[in-house]
Amino acid sequence: MSSRIVALRLVALIAAALIVLRLMDLQVLRGGRFRELAEHNRLRAVPELAPRGLIVDRRGEILAANQTVFRVAIIPQEVDELQPVLAHVSHVVGVPVDELSRQLSLRRSLPFVPATIVPQIPKPLALRLEEDRLHLPGLLVRPETVRAYPQRRVAAHLLGYLGRPQPEDLPVLKEYGVRAEHLIGRTGLEQAFDAYLRGRAGGAMVEVDHRARRVRTIGQRPAEPGQTLTLTIDASLQALIEEAFGSQPGAAVVLDPRSGEVLALVSVPSFNPAAFIGGSSREVQGYLSDPRSPLLNRATVGTYTPGSIAKVITAIAALEHGVITPATTIVCRGSLRIGDRTFFCWNRDGHGPMTVVDAIRGSCNVFFMQVGRWLGVERLTDAMWTVGWGRRTGWLLEEHAGLLPGRRLTEGEAAMLAIGQGELLITPMQAALLASTVANGGWLVKPWVVSAIGDRRTAKISTQRLRWSPETFEIIQRGMRQAVVHPEGTAFRASASRVPVAGKTGTAQTHLVERPHGWFIGYCPADAPRVAMAIVWEHGGSGGDLPTEIARAICDYIGAVSEPDRLVPDTASRPTATAAPSPSG
Amino acid sequence: MRPSLRAWDWHLLGAALGLTVVSVVTITSASARLNPVLAWRQLTWALIGIGACLAVARMPISRWTELAGLAYGLGVILLVLVCIAGTTKLGATRWLSVFGLSLQPTELVKLGTVWLLARYLAGQPTPLPTRAVVTSLLLAGLPALLIFRQPDLGSATILAAIWLGMAWVSGLSRRHAAVLAGAMLGLAPLAWHILKPYQRDRLLAFINPHADPLGAGYTVIQSQIAIGSGQWVGRGWFAGTQNQLNFLPERHSDFIFSVVGEEWGLLGCLVVVAAFVLLLARVLDVALRTGTPHGRLLAVGVFAWVGYQAFVNLGMVSGLLPVVGVPLPLMSYGGTSMVALWIGLGTVLGTERTEEGMHPSPWS
Repeated sequence: MSSRIVALRLVALIAAALIVLRLMDLQVLRGGRFRELAEHNRLRAVPELAPRGLIVDRRGEILAANQTVFRVAIIPQEVDELQPVLAHVSHVVGVPVDELSRQLSLRRSLPFVPATIVPQIPKPLALRLEEDRLHLPGLLVRPETVRAYPQRRVAAHLLGYLGRPQPEDLPVLKEYGVRAEHLIGRTGLEQAFDAYLRGRAGGAMVEVDHRARRVRTIGQRPAEPGQTLTLTIDASLQALIEEAFGSQPGAAVVLDPRSGEVLALVSVPSFNPAAFIGGSSREVQGYLSDPRSPLLNRATVGTYTPGSIAKVITAIAALEHGVITPATTIVCRGSLRIGDRTFFCWNRDGHGPMTVVDAIRGSCNVFFMQVGRWLGVERLTDAMWTVGWGRRTGWLLEEHAGLLPGRRLTEGEAAMLAIGQGELLITPMQAALLASTVANGGWLVKPWVVSAIGDRRTAKISTQRLRWSPETFEIIQRGMRQAVVHPEGTAFRASASRVPVAGKTGTAQTHLVERPHGWFIGYCPADAPRVAMAIVWEHGGSGGDLPTEIARAICDYIGAVSEPDRLVPDTASRPTATAAPSPSG
Repeated sequence: MRPSLRAWDWHLLGAALGLTVVSVVTITSASARLNPVLAWRQLTWALIGIGACLAVARMPISRWTELAGLAYGLGVILLVLVCIAGTTKLGATRWLSVFGLSLQPTELVKLGTVWLLARYLAGQPTPLPTRAVVTSLLLAGLPALLIFRQPDLGSATILAAIWLGMAWVSGLSRRHAAVLAGAMLGLAPLAWHILKPYQRDRLLAFINPHADPLGAGYTVIQSQIAIGSGQWVGRGWFAGTQNQLNFLPERHSDFIFSVVGEEWGLLGCLVVVAAFVLLLARVLDVALRTGTPHGRLLAVGVFAWVGYQAFVNLGMVSGLLPVVGVPLPLMSYGGTSMVALWIGLGTVLGTERTEEGMHPSPWS
C-alpha cells in the first residue's frame, strides 16, 4: 500500500500549491488594491431594515403597521471629538449626555455602521439637527420605518409587543439577519409569528472616497419585507367591547361556534404596545408597576371561579347520566341542608318547584346543589374536563389550563362544585368554549385566530364531537333562551337586543371582602348561532349587570353586520347550530 | 517487555510546536480588542496538549487499540448529550458545559474515530471486502450524522475525509470507490434540502459573496481584504486594521489565518503553509516506515484529519472554498481541539518511537 501513501503525499502537495497560488493572487497581484481598501477603511456597510409585515383583521383593517420616524445616530469612527457632539445632541433633544454615551456603547456594531443614540425625535428637531450636521462630522439623522399600532390599545394583548432580542437568542437569530439593534416580537402574535413578520434585513457594502462619498457598490442584498398576517379578529367588535368595559377590569372572548374562529379577545385594562418600541419608557414602567397588571392577558391566562355558569355543565351531566329527566321537579325553599350545614339559594325566599329549564332560567342554587349530590364529584368533573376545563385548549399563544379539584370532596363541597364554587378555576377562553359547545349542539371547537400568512391560508378547523345527545343540548338551549327572554331570567337585560340571545349569568364568590366576579356566557342569534361568547367582570358584581349589558352590545353588533366573509368554505364535517350531525364512529 | 525508545522526530515536533507558537502570538493580537484572556487560555491549553502528547508518545500503540472503543463511545455519547443539552454557540449546538468548562465533543470524536477505524481496518484483508467498507463507513457515519445535525456541516465532512483516507490506504477497491462517488452525486440534491437556510446562504455566498455583503458574504469579503492587504511582509503585529478595527468576525477562531495574512503578509503565510507541509510529510513518513498496518493507519488517519482540516480552513478564509466553519488545526482558538490534535500527533510519535518493526528514518 506504499504507492497509495505516496499518492496521498502528492495530494497534499497539490493542495498546498493551490493555497500558495491563491495567496500570491490575493497578496501580490491584488495586494495593492486590498491594502488601499483596508488602510483607509474605505468600505462601509449600509444596512437596510426590512419593513415588518402588517397585521390586519378579518376585513383587512390594519391593527399593526409601520411608520417613519427620525433617529439620531453616530458613526463613532468618523467623529473628531465625541464630547462636543454628544453635548450638542443633548442640548437639542434634551437627553442627558450620560444616557447618550450609554446608548452609544450599547448600540455599537460593525465599524462605520451608524449607532442609534436617540431612537425617536420629532420632525422639527430632526430638521434642526440635520442643519447642524455640517460642522459635526459623524452625526447622523436618518429616517427609519418602525412598528406602529394605528388602533392603539385595541387587541394589544393579542398583538403583543416588540423588544430587543435576548442576548442568548442572538447567535441563532443572527443567521437570519437579526442584529442586536433590531426589534423582534417579544410577546403575543408579534412573537409567535416573528419569523414571518420580520422579513429579512438587507444592505449594501459600498466603497467610499476620503470624504465618505460613495464611489461604488461592492455588493448588495435588498431587504425582504415581512409577510402580512390576517386574523379572524373583527377589529370593530374588539374595539366596541373594550370600550364597553370602560375602566372596569375584565375579559371577553367571542368566537364562531361553527369553526372556532376568534372574533374578539378582550382583556381590560389594556396597554399601548407602541410604548415598548423606544425601550424602557416611563409608560412601560407604569404598566409593570400597575397593581391591576395591564400586561396580563386575562382572556387566556387569567383564571376565575366560574360560579353559576358551571350549572350548564351540571345540567348536561345530570341529563346525560339519567340522574334527572327534563320533567324532574325539585322544590326550592331557599336553602338546602347537607349534613349539619345549611346552604342557601341566592333567592332566600325560594324558587318553588322547578324543572331543569326553570332552574337554568332562574339560576337556582338549591336545584343544582341537589343534582350535584346525586351526580357525585367524579361525573361532574368528568363533564367539565370534557368541555375543556382543567386543560389547555391548544390556543397558539400563552394560556392557562385552569384548575379542577384534585382531591376527594365532602358532600357539601360536591354540592358547591355543582354551582361552580370551590377549588375550580377557568379562563374566559374556556368559558367561551362551553358557550360555543352549547351553541353548536355538542361540538368542541379549537380556537384559532390567524387565517392567512401572506397569501397562504392557514385556517385549520379542528372540531371534536362530544358524546352527548342533541336532545340534552336542546334542553340546555331552551333554558339559556329562557334566562334572557323571561322577565325572571337572570340575563333578562340581554333581551333588549335586536337579535335573539341565549345566555347564562354567573356571580362567582371569591373572597368575603372582595366583590364577586360577574359572568355571562351565551350565543346569538339563538336560533342559528353565529357567535358564542364569554364575558367576565373581575371583582365587579353581578353577572346580570355589566357582563349582560356587554353581551347585548355584542349581539346588537352581530345583528347589524351582515355575515362577515366566511374564512372557511362550508364542509359537511363542520358543526352546525341547528341539527348536529350524528357522531362519527 | 518495554520496547526501546527511539529519538524524537524533531521535524514533526518542531513543525507542530511552531504552528502552536504562531497561534498564541496571533491570538494575542486578534483578541486584544475582543478579550485578551483568550491568548492566555490558548497558551494554557497548548501546554496541556503538548504535555499529553509527550505522555502519549511514550506508550506502545497497542494501548490505543484497547482505548479506541472507549474514546469513540464516550465521544458519541457526548455528541448525543450535546443534542439534548448543549449550549448554542454561533447558531449551532456544539458545546457541552462540564464543570464550567465548555467541551467540544466533536474534537474527541475525531480522535476516537481515527483510533477505532485504525483498529478495525488493520484486521481486514486487502482489498477491503464490501462488509468491511460498510462497517467502517457506519463507524465514521454515526458521529458524522450527529455532528451534521448540530448543525455543523464542516466537521461532518472531516470525518468523511478521515474515513476516505484510511479506507484508501487499507485497500479500498476502485469499484467500491466508484459506487460511493456515484451515490454521493445522486444524494447531493437531497442534501441541499436538508441544509439549514443559513448553510445554503453560505454556500451561495461562496459562489457570489457580493449577493449578501452584510450577511453570509461579509466574512468572505473582509477576510480576503485582510489577507490581501498584508502584501509581501504584512502590516506588523497589532497593526492590521481589519483585525484591530473589528472588521473580521471570528478572527481568533476560524479566521485566525486572515490575521496572519494581514499582519505578517505572504511571508508569514508561507511559513504557516510550510509548517503544515512539513508536519504532514513527516506523519506520512511514519506511515511509510512503520511495519504494522495498525501504526500505518493511525498515521494516515491523523494525516487526513490535519491535512483536510487545514486545507478546507485555508481555502475558506482565502475565498477558494465555501465558509463551513472548520477551525485551522493547532492554530484556531479552542482548547478541546488543541488537546485532541496534540494527542493525535502523540500517537503518531509513539508509533515511531516504540514500534518494533520500524524502518529507520532516512532523514535522521
